[in-house]
Amino acid sequence: MKKFLFMVLVFLTFNILAFGAATSTQVPMLEAPVMVVSAGQSPGALQFSVVAKMAKLPHTFEKLLRAEDFDPTKYKTLVLVVGASSKGLGAAGIDFEAEVKRVVALAEKAKAHKIPIVICHLEGATRRGPMSDRILDALAAYASIFMVKTSSDEDGKFKSLSEEFKVPLLYFQKTSDLKNIIQEHFVY
Amino acid sequence: MKRLLLFFSIICAVTAFAAFFQPDVRPGYGVTDIGWLSDYFPPLRGTNLDTPVFYMDSGVEGPTFLLMGGTHPREIASMVAATIFVENVVVKKGRVIVIPYANKSAASIPDTFGKVPHFIPVKSRSGPRFLVYGDRRTDPKDQGVPDPEKFVHPSGFELEDGAEARNLNRQYPGVPEGNPTQQLAYAIIQLIKAEKVNFNLDMHESGTPEEYVDESGNIKKGGRLAFTLVCNPAALEIGAMALLMLEDQGITFNLEESNPEFRGLSHLEIYNATGCLSFLSETPNPGQDPWRKQVDVINDPKYPLKLRVGMQLELIRCLIEAYSMYTGEAIQIEGLPSFQDLMEKDVGSFLN
Repeated sequence: MKKFLFMVLVFLTFNILAFGAATSTQVPMLEAPVMVVSAGQSPGALQFSVVAKMAKLPHTFEKLLRAEDFDPTKYKTLVLVVGASSKGLGAAGIDFEAEVKRVVALAEKAKAHKIPIVICHLEGATRRGPMSDRILDALAAYASIFMVKTSSDEDGKFKSLSEEFKVPLLYFQKTSDLKNIIQEHFVY
Repeated sequence: MKRLLLFFSIICAVTAFAAFFQPDVRPGYGVTDIGWLSDYFPPLRGTNLDTPVFYMDSGVEGPTFLLMGGTHPREIASMVAATIFVENVVVKKGRVIVIPYANKSAASIPDTFGKVPHFIPVKSRSGPRFLVYGDRRTDPKDQGVPDPEKFVHPSGFELEDGAEARNLNRQYPGVPEGNPTQQLAYAIIQLIKAEKVNFNLDMHESGTPEEYVDESGNIKKGGRLAFTLVCNPAALEIGAMALLMLEDQGITFNLEESNPEFRGLSHLEIYNATGCLSFLSETPNPGQDPWRKQVDVINDPKYPLKLRVGMQLELIRCLIEAYSMYTGEAIQIEGLPSFQDLMEKDVGSFLN
């Protein structure tokens, strides 16, 4: 009997560990429709939307979506494309602190409704200034997965965040390679 | 006395030479007509700001694309790319209009940085030829009025440097009764309206992104503008598509959106004034790095002219394709050298 209980314990422990490992490293399948939102008002989110169109991913692109306008019953994934642009913020008439609050509130709401959140960065090292990193740090804890252009992670920041929050990280070399990632990891 | 006369003769000769400048563009078979910018705004005629306009009409219905080089004639890759386009391309569908020297007056004077000769010899298909390296702004003699203390755009937007009153890319949409540079911008807007131009690219160059050590020994970052395509907000999606295509050729550019608060720039004002989707490209010109003591804008080891012109030409191709894909209205061209062609054969191989 003791031997049997010991075996059950070993089996359960193994399964818990295995499951834990899987959730921390396994890339989740994401579902459509998708809401794509800019986090910082650079053109990166639009570029994601263009690639999503090429991949025929059902999605809506809203540069400035606020949490109160986000209907969690209509979308199965939230994509936040990080990239801070003073020009973009100026054009949108929003200051930087308000932008950080807006995207964090949006991520909070998505998380509360168990909607997976993709944090994407596709504008390379030139869009990795202090403002972009500030947004990234504010959002990292909400990420279900990171999708990052290789040249955006020359300093290994995304790799560190991925390890810290045990969230999968998918790299792509060229922006157009994001199309393959979308086709592989979204169900639609 | 003789010396004095000789001195005045030289001054007069130099002044006379500076007052007249005719761009060296040798059209290929694709050019169907040549006109002048003053055809759209007669007060420019007879001035050093009037500039040749090259029409490349397929005769087959389709959109019209305006390609501009030489808005800032020290940004040499813009003029060379436009010239190569005129001398090599045949348009098979739609129409392309090219202004290789948008600010001819600025091309007529040497660069005020003083590090690059005004005329640079190259070997072309038909022998020796000179490329022009001009200044950023209209020749003060052609402007005819002193620079204001501050530059004020008609919208009220201000810049501290009054010399910006001679910068074509601060004057759009132009002023018909304004100073000559304002009139030049106005004339370009009139051309775009009259010819019903659907989209345009204004080619530029800026300092390289190379880090450098300043006089105090501090490491400074280089320019952030190079390798950029700036798009009017209405043209952003086409710009994004074009850059995806460009990246497939191994060339990565950043996408930027016009800043609506910075007035007078082509990519913002041309669309606002005419509805023409407007773009502006920037390649890295070592001649515009203020920290470089010596510079070779043709054969720089990292940023040679062939690389910069190749990137501009490839971007033109991608922009035309992206516009055609996005709108469903195609322009088709033949004979545009590729980036690889430029890198392998150099600029002179594509100049008549």
